[in-house]
Amino acid sequence: MNQQNIPLLSVRSITKRFPVRTGLLGKRIWKTAVNEVSFSIEQGSTLAVVGESGSGKSTLALMALDLLAPTAGDILYQNRPFSDRSREERRRLRRDMQVVFQDPYASLNGRMNVREALTEGMIIHRLADSPAEREERALQLLRQVSMPPESLDRYPHEFSGGQRQRIAIARALSVNPSFVVLDEPTSALDVSVQSQVLNLLRRLQKENNLTYLFISHNLEVVSYLADNVAVMENGSIVEMGSVDDIFDRPQKEYTKKLLQAIPAIDLLRGHNEEA
Amino acid sequence: MHSPILKVQNLHTWFETPTGTARAVDGVNFELYQGETLAIVGESGSGKSITALSLMQLVPEPAGYIEKGSIFYKNRDLLDLTWEEMRALRGKDIAMIFQEPMTSLNPVLTVEKQIVEAMQVHGTATGAEARKRAVDMLNKVGIRSPQQVVRQFPHELSGGMRQRVMIAIALSNNPQILLADEPTTALDVTVQAQILDLLASLQKELGMSMLLITHDLGIVARVAQRCCVMYAGQIVEEAPTSELLKNPQHPYTRGLLASLPSRARRGQELYTLEGVVPPPTRWPKGCRFALRCPNRMDICKNVLPGETALSPQRRVSCHLYNSDSAEAAVPLENPS
Ligand SMILES: Nc1ncnc2c1ncn2[C@@H]1O[C@H](COP(=O)(O)OP(=O)(O)O)[C@@H](O)[C@H]1O
Ligand SMILES: Nc1ncnc2c1ncn2[C@@H]1O[C@H](COP(=O)(O)OP(=O)(O)O)[C@@H](O)[C@H]1O
Ligand SMILES: [Mg+2]
Ligand SMILES: [Mg+2]
Repeated sequence: MNQQNIPLLSVRSITKRFPVRTGLLGKRIWKTAVNEVSFSIEQGSTLAVVGESGSGKSTLALMALDLLAPTAGDILYQNRPFSDRSREERRRLRRDMQVVFQDPYASLNGRMNVREALTEGMIIHRLADSPAEREERALQLLRQVSMPPESLDRYPHEFSGGQRQRIAIARALSVNPSFVVLDEPTSALDVSVQSQVLNLLRRLQKENNLTYLFISHNLEVVSYLADNVAVMENGSIVEMGSVDDIFDRPQKEYTKKLLQAIPAIDLLRGHNEEA
Repeated sequence: MHSPILKVQNLHTWFETPTGTARAVDGVNFELYQGETLAIVGESGSGKSITALSLMQLVPEPAGYIEKGSIFYKNRDLLDLTWEEMRALRGKDIAMIFQEPMTSLNPVLTVEKQIVEAMQVHGTATGAEARKRAVDMLNKVGIRSPQQVVRQFPHELSGGMRQRVMIAIALSNNPQILLADEPTTALDVTVQAQILDLLASLQKELGMSMLLITHDLGIVARVAQRCCVMYAGQIVEEAPTSELLKNPQHPYTRGLLASLPSRARRGQELYTLEGVVPPPTRWPKGCRFALRCPNRMDICKNVLPGETALSPQRRVSCHLYNSDSAEAAVPLENPS
């Protein structure tokens, strides 16, 4: 926590265009999924990206993870552009940057039991030398995400959605990352399970000084978890600021529209809640 | 309030499954009043959709069946109607919309054909009159270029537009009751807000009654005057929405509300409900929430609590409120 104000990730005017083929002549046209987007995320903080489906959030996340090359622009991780780094260096960074998806099946291989899911990254990145060490570390990860040790021998389909998401989070943490992209991690979960996962994410962030890029369309969740918010519309960031800025002093029409869409539950609950 | 238009009593809808009888809906009671929006809110698997499908008598057969209960509509028990009588009522008196419009829209028919057919089946309108009414309906659900949309196929429309088309079809026969099962769950938040506001205004304009099924308490807050909280196949609490949100009584409702993230709770640990819902083939003998309940008493493990009326408009099924069984005095502290 003493490393505040140092950006872990800086995104400088990145653009991503995809070729799409349409029309009778099959002429190639380009779809701009992300358009000259810039932001940085301080170490240990959470930047939320909100916007409607198709606004470019996931494309942005893939570029931030160095899993997709931008068409234009630069991404600096720990102050150095991906493009300046050697292949070997970038491979090592794969360990430092992890992702958790909305659907835990996307981050978990159904044919791998939990032990294999949690130790695979340790083996690839040589983080634990002996099987005993890996087993020890896997058990520790399960404790961190409040899952029983017997889970190690079980398969993803044997768990509930919330439990699978906790396993996906444990897998992401198994390689000691600094930066975690959370792409709608609680959107498929019931509220009672969502609160468990949110508590977990918050605790893990504190314990490990994790930096989060948190993608969500749920503004209640964003206002609870994020430090800063970037509002995306049609591939561009139309407004960015602290949670207080965005929620109390929105400048753009689109942001206001998003905020008005928030269910009125707090209003109705009224004084029941000490703010 | 006025008289109930729909009165559901002791409804049980079960499924035969390889692991036993799944008692998905297991003793549900509620009344829907003329011109109101009543929400049924609950987490996935609590039996909300099966309740709605039971009202329409569209429970997936042969595994599923209505074991017992009554569904009174206009002084008749729908469960006593013949299949033909029920078919005449379905889509006319009682219409239904779903989370995923594609499951109820026909992919190979134009929008016009589908609305016209819905009206023809029930003799509401035919021919040129029906086609004109189709355009009117699309106008009503906020589609700006209805002349163009009538000629389109479902896959040519965005999710929000498809949902509007499904609402237009459902409302084309002026139903008395609209059952809306998670009608906005698959939509973006701004579209979701538009559709909810649309449903609320149509409901007022047409004077129909709406049963809104959702897992989202925020949606309940936005559109429903009253709310039933469903857990494990039963309704555990019923109250006017504002009272329910301000002053929840059942420990499950309290827990749900306390577990919601919000800006006011930044930096705080959210409340969590321990454990999971038991499978519907093996409901516990006593209160179905007992294993997860922070206020559990001895009686809860063995005796299913009956309903206690807290006021003419409020009821709760919990031993804490039953004067014969309560050890603790009410009200409880909210979990935080
Ligand atoms: N691989 C791809 N090829 C073509 N178009 C794509 C590809 N990935 C994303 N897109 C398009 O880019 C836009 C942004 O998509 P995405 O980043 O997935 O949005 P979001 O995550 O906000 O829903 C969409 O219009 C999508 O169809
Ligand atoms: N076709 C089916 N066969 C067996 N069980 C079913 C079937 N459909 C639903 N159920 C059971 O009914 C329960 C309630 O389902 P449902 O009403 O769809 O819940 P929800 O509250 O999420 O809408 C589920 O837990 C499920 O076990
Ligand atoms: Mg996405
Ligand atoms: Mg359902």
